[in-house]
Amino acid sequence: MHKIQLIRSSTFLWALAVAAAFALFVVALFAFIYWKLDAYLVARSDRMITTQIRFIADLPPSRRLNAIADHLAQDSRGVQYAGLFDAAGNRLAGNIDHLPRQLEPDGAVQGVQLDLLQKPTSHVPVVRAVGRRLDGGDVLVMGRNVDETREIASVVGEALALGLLPAFSLCLLAGAWLSFRAQRRVEEVNQRVQRIVAGELRERLPESGADDPFARLAKIVNGMLDEMEMMINALAGLGNDIAHDLRTPLTRVRLALERGRTHAATLEQLQDVTDKAIAGIDQSLAIVTALLRLTEIENNRRMAGFGDVALDEILREVCDLYEPIAEDKRIRLGAVTERHVQVWGDRDLLFEAVANLVDNAIKFTPSGGRVELRLDAEDDSALVRVSDTGPGISEQEREAVLRRFYRSDKMRNTPGVGLGLSLVAAIVKLHGFRLVIGPAPGGRIEILASIGRAGRPVTRRSRTLLHADAGGVG
Amino acid sequence: MVAMNRILLIEDDTETAEVIVAELADRGFEVQWTANGVDGLGRARASSHDAMIVDRMLPGMDGLTVIEALRKDQVRTPVLVLSALGAVDDRVRGLRMGGDDYLTKPFALVELVARIEALLRRPSDSRQTVLQVGPLQLDLIERTARRGERELDLLPREFRLLEYMMRRSDQLLTRAMLLEEVWNYKFVPATTNLIDVHMGRLRHKVDGPGEVPLIHNVRGSGFVLRSRR
Repeated sequence: MHKIQLIRSSTFLWALAVAAAFALFVVALFAFIYWKLDAYLVARSDRMITTQIRFIADLPPSRRLNAIADHLAQDSRGVQYAGLFDAAGNRLAGNIDHLPRQLEPDGAVQGVQLDLLQKPTSHVPVVRAVGRRLDGGDVLVMGRNVDETREIASVVGEALALGLLPAFSLCLLAGAWLSFRAQRRVEEVNQRVQRIVAGELRERLPESGADDPFARLAKIVNGMLDEMEMMINALAGLGNDIAHDLRTPLTRVRLALERGRTHAATLEQLQDVTDKAIAGIDQSLAIVTALLRLTEIENNRRMAGFGDVALDEILREVCDLYEPIAEDKRIRLGAVTERHVQVWGDRDLLFEAVANLVDNAIKFTPSGGRVELRLDAEDDSALVRVSDTGPGISEQEREAVLRRFYRSDKMRNTPGVGLGLSLVAAIVKLHGFRLVIGPAPGGRIEILASIGRAGRPVTRRSRTLLHADAGGVG
Repeated sequence: MVAMNRILLIEDDTETAEVIVAELADRGFEVQWTANGVDGLGRARASSHDAMIVDRMLPGMDGLTVIEALRKDQVRTPVLVLSALGAVDDRVRGLRMGGDDYLTKPFALVELVARIEALLRRPSDSRQTVLQVGPLQLDLIERTARRGERELDLLPREFRLLEYMMRRSDQLLTRAMLLEEVWNYKFVPATTNLIDVHMGRLRHKVDGPGEVPLIHNVRGSGFVLRSRR
């Protein structure tokens, strides 16, 4: 089973394909060498026999027979052929049995079959030969065995084959090893993933220092797992939070109704009880609604309400809306907008985000303090800053405040649904902006927006929350 | 009594519909109710109504499709869209398709009635440059306000608020309506008494000591600017 998998694995098949391609290449190389070698040897033989035939033909007739005999005697390997025939075709000297018919005297060197005096044992040799008609009608034929092309070729071929075999095996081995390694890593990843699926959320894929695709993939997946673990943890806490936050007003409703039912004597008293009950139910509904809206904004990828939004106007409007309530608390509220700044977004949502920040700031700033809205812009980014003289958000609490229903202990008794900042974070994320929480003391929250349409939601990886001291903004 | 306003309600949840019908009947409306979109569209085409309440999700035909079809037929009846979804996009689409107002479930009955009344009594003449309600006079060009002989020193936002209330005098204006119409703020703010504070300021200026109060707080629901006692 395992072996079959190994052989079927794409890595191994690739290795096999590479090996096959390599073998093909070697065969082609061999053919090429053979062809080149053959051409070279033939050309050399042709040159040699041309020289020899000229040499012998130029001798006086009396010395030709000796010269032929000498020439053949010197050839220990038996690759030289020569023959002298009279006009009638009878052999006068040499080792060629009779004048070959295909040979055209006085022609170019050509490949022919020669019938030799001593018949070769194995095979008829391939011979290059040339003929020359001499004065007096004799015909001189000189030839040379070019069989050595084949011999050399067979040697070269053998060598290549010997080289090919280990190369081929190496390819297969490498393929098998790579495939095995990949499978082992996949198996390892699989095991870890199974553990994660089983609920071991802290498990991560092995990253190994190497910069190979596997390690990079593992890094990417781990990043995703980080995000998911955070979300899952947040969700896990959410159920309890919702239950708790809903139970409080519902308990009040229940008690009020129960008491009202037994004790209310007049219509007014009953109405009073009912009003209380409705208020409690409204509060529960507000929680549910806020939660649904939050989920909606977070999951919403459609942006039907997007358009050009003037941030400076929003700031002024929010300020206008909250001025009286700030005044009642003896808090100075002001907006500083020096420039007209337009961003691409949903006006209602951005208004809500800014309003939420201001609402929070006013809520947590003690009497006599100050809340300031400020809009700064440069080139392609705008910065909306809501700062106050309240306690601010401590470093440990920065991540937590964005969690749903988070209310720091000191604020437990402050009314509110506890979803405000998560809502702001969701809205900011939807726009592809960034939320920056400044260091305490003194509250400071910034929305870093990009001007124009360029700032559409970028990477999903980009974290919405960024610490001011680490982010280098502001 | 004046002719009863005829209202067509298209809502598939029987219980919700029954409560709405009963409440509107108590308030003197004549209500026709149907539970499905196709039927509702037929009825809306067949006879004229003064206003319609259309649920967003309906069996047979989607609420928004009903409105779209009606608008294509040049039926201009004002429509209040009800929806269980508070979706940001949904709201935008609802209004874009020709809905005149949008209310998310769950809603308070008073809110529904207030909005229907607002739809029925569209502000009289928007070209008027001087508004008059009882002793109140608002000059939209001079940006001045007076009550009888007394000049009212209003901030711009107070002026806007009073203008809106004067255009809709004797109507119940809920907090959500005021937020939406005067401040263009579509969602319920975390601080719930935001509007009350604004109204308190305005009332302080409009209703002087010893004067008959014009701005009334309707318990648990909103505010009314009364032109008569």
